[in-house]
Amino acid sequence: MSLLEARDLTGGYGGMDILKGLSMSIEAGAVTVIIGANGAGKSTAMKALFGLVRLSEGRVHFDGADITGAEPETLVRRGMAYVPQERNVFPNLTVEENLEMGAYTISGDLGPRLARVYDLFAILKEKRRQAAGELSGGQRQMVAVGRAMMMDPKLLMLDEPTAGLSPRVMDEMFDSVLAINDQGVGILMVEQNARQALAVADKGYVLASGTVRFEDSGAALLANPEVSESFLGG
Amino acid sequence: MDSAFGIMMYLVGLLTMGGIYAIMSLGLNVQWGWTGQFNAGIAGFFAVGAYASAILTSTGSGALMGGLGLPVPVGLVAAMVLAGLTGYLVGRLCLRLKSDYLAIATIGIAEILRLIVTNEGWLTNGTRGVSNIPRPFESLGLPWAQIAFASLIVALLLVLFLALQRLARSPWGRVLRAIRDNETAAEAVGKNVVAFRLEAFVVGSAIMGLGGALTAHYFKFIGPEATEPLMTTFLVWVMLIVGGSGNNKGAILGPLLVWTLWSAMEIVTAQLPPEWAVRAAYLRIFLVGLMLQVVLQRFAGGLIPERRRGT
Amino acid sequence: MLEFVNFYLIPGLVLGSIYALGAIGVTMLFGILRFAHFAHGDLMSLGAYVALSFVAGIGLPTILALPFAMVIVALASVGIDRAFYRPFRKGPTIIVVIASFGVALMIRSLIQLFWGVEITSYVQGIQRPLVLFDSLRIAERHIWIIALTVVFVVAMHLFLTRSRLGKGMRAMSDDADLARVTGINTRAVIAWTWLIGGGLAAAGGVFLAMDTQLNPSIGWNAILPIFAAAVLGGIGKPYGAIVGGLVIGLAEELSNYPWFGFEPLLSPGYKSGVAFGIMVLMLIFRPSGLFRGRVL
Repeated sequence: MSLLEARDLTGGYGGMDILKGLSMSIEAGAVTVIIGANGAGKSTAMKALFGLVRLSEGRVHFDGADITGAEPETLVRRGMAYVPQERNVFPNLTVEENLEMGAYTISGDLGPRLARVYDLFAILKEKRRQAAGELSGGQRQMVAVGRAMMMDPKLLMLDEPTAGLSPRVMDEMFDSVLAINDQGVGILMVEQNARQALAVADKGYVLASGTVRFEDSGAALLANPEVSESFLGG
Repeated sequence: MDSAFGIMMYLVGLLTMGGIYAIMSLGLNVQWGWTGQFNAGIAGFFAVGAYASAILTSTGSGALMGGLGLPVPVGLVAAMVLAGLTGYLVGRLCLRLKSDYLAIATIGIAEILRLIVTNEGWLTNGTRGVSNIPRPFESLGLPWAQIAFASLIVALLLVLFLALQRLARSPWGRVLRAIRDNETAAEAVGKNVVAFRLEAFVVGSAIMGLGGALTAHYFKFIGPEATEPLMTTFLVWVMLIVGGSGNNKGAILGPLLVWTLWSAMEIVTAQLPPEWAVRAAYLRIFLVGLMLQVVLQRFAGGLIPERRRGT
Repeated sequence: MLEFVNFYLIPGLVLGSIYALGAIGVTMLFGILRFAHFAHGDLMSLGAYVALSFVAGIGLPTILALPFAMVIVALASVGIDRAFYRPFRKGPTIIVVIASFGVALMIRSLIQLFWGVEITSYVQGIQRPLVLFDSLRIAERHIWIIALTVVFVVAMHLFLTRSRLGKGMRAMSDDADLARVTGINTRAVIAWTWLIGGGLAAAGGVFLAMDTQLNPSIGWNAILPIFAAAVLGGIGKPYGAIVGGLVIGLAEELSNYPWFGFEPLLSPGYKSGVAFGIMVLMLIFRPSGLFRGRVL
């Protein structure tokens, strides 16, 4: 059975439905990528998986349990972690405090967890007493991802992790994401850099108008001429 | 027991004060119902209007700058102009910011006005207040004076109501509604949202000033208690919310209803022995506050919810 | 110089401490729940009167009555939130501001109902000030107020920087949505914000009543300076609120001082307008406040 299973999700914000019958299954330990044009519902889909979107229909299962509409606090405890695209750090808290918030639901010593995140992102250790709002875009992204990793999640959900980053920093971020995946953590990623993302993806979903247009392995999607023309810029 | 005459006089009084509150409520409706601005300092605009008219029309009370004895209509117009101007100044300051700031600032204005009223005795006679304010139709004697004045209030209320209904349907009114319902869309179309909001705020303030002036003429006296937030600010808010915010009809029905309830409660508590009567007055306030909470939670639209056109 | 310290500086610090205690709660609530809590001043009044019950009823010294007042008002604040503000969590915050306006009046009328309206004080009679160092005159109650405020402020600081709950509060104040997504128990944080805000407000109210007198409106009369302090310090910044409170308190008292010649800078009748004036200036020139808080 898949780690995360979403069936027929329909819903959106206010009175409008952005998702119209969306179904996905995400395997444990895999890299799954969601691509699509702007307005296709990529971010909304991810938020719906994390219980942040009003759903009129559909159910979400994680690790066998029905989590539809559950509070983020519960999801975090179950092993899901979500990194929003924007405003994903607490600017007035230090780097270390930001990371600590990631493990808020755990009482007890956070030392070992912090150490693991600092292993992943060495520069954060250097800057751990600095206010997160003062960091560069790439470093802030590291804090955001590091925060999500504090709970040793089974599934890491990233909404456009490379948005607004310079090419070199982008590559570093991709490398870090793959390194995390190597440790056995499943990755679900919404990405604008479709080509690069699909190249590393075990599975890809192409969304259009709130539903899944194409579903295949990353390589197959890249090779698919239809996908190539419509969504990858030819 | 009251005679029929006494009851009739009581009802006339009820209509007069209720009508004045309805006028205030219409003013608040322009600010809140049409553009969503929370004016927590109604008492301030009320006081500006009341004192303006009082000073200009009173026939002298002590060492007062007034004693000008100008005709009442002049006082009423001056009240509206000055209250509107005050609204302009406050609005210019706050309308770019979120409505919470406006709420705080309007409280501040009411407070500043209270200080001015209390301290600048040369203008306002300080805590002694302004008396000898003429009431229109006074000379007719009981009961016609009261009835005539009440009719004046009702007439003004009707004129105001019709004018505001007209205004609501005008292009200006439509833009205001568009701003309230979807501000970003209105901005995208090129409407200067802040300017429209300011205009609405000024109009509302002017109407509140009128209400203050009329009250001053009704009681023939105005003192610093006029700036106290309870009766004016809070009561008008409850009236508008109960009646139906956004809605001119609600803005009339609410005040009449709430004022009747308020006065009825007053009669009931007046029957109690003296020690209880005073305390009961505060119970009244508490109950009105509770009523506000219940209406906010259960009947958000008020008695006459506004019909949204289109959707 | 001495006169300056005794009659202007120290009263300014005392008043500033009181405003700071009220402003901390207001700014945290502003930051976390995004609304201006109009009933905060009346929470202060409530604290003062609850303390009065212990002082007049059981004969407790005012300072010992303080913890009781703080705890009771803290719990009441959580209850008030549950009953009157929580129903409006989603939706435009202006509604909850209106509700808080109503709550302010409800609290005040309850105080008038149960405790009456006459002006009273905790301690009858004139209290002679202490004389320190042969020339510094300071009233004993002033020492208590300033000392206890320092204690509260230090405790707040430790709480906000050392405890998980305190950090969670700062996180929620930064970004409530992100806090929720991160897995922070936002309900608990909100409840604690009310507990702390209410408790500190009660303390401020007791101090205010100690310094002046008890009447049902003391809290409401302080709401404008408290909001001004919160705006001055930057919305959502507790340290800013402390600084803001001290500045406003000092400004109010020092405005009476005859800086130039023999007349006070500002006529004493307008003392309470100082806070408003400062706030207006801030809103015009720097709405984010001294410490760059949130501009709502």
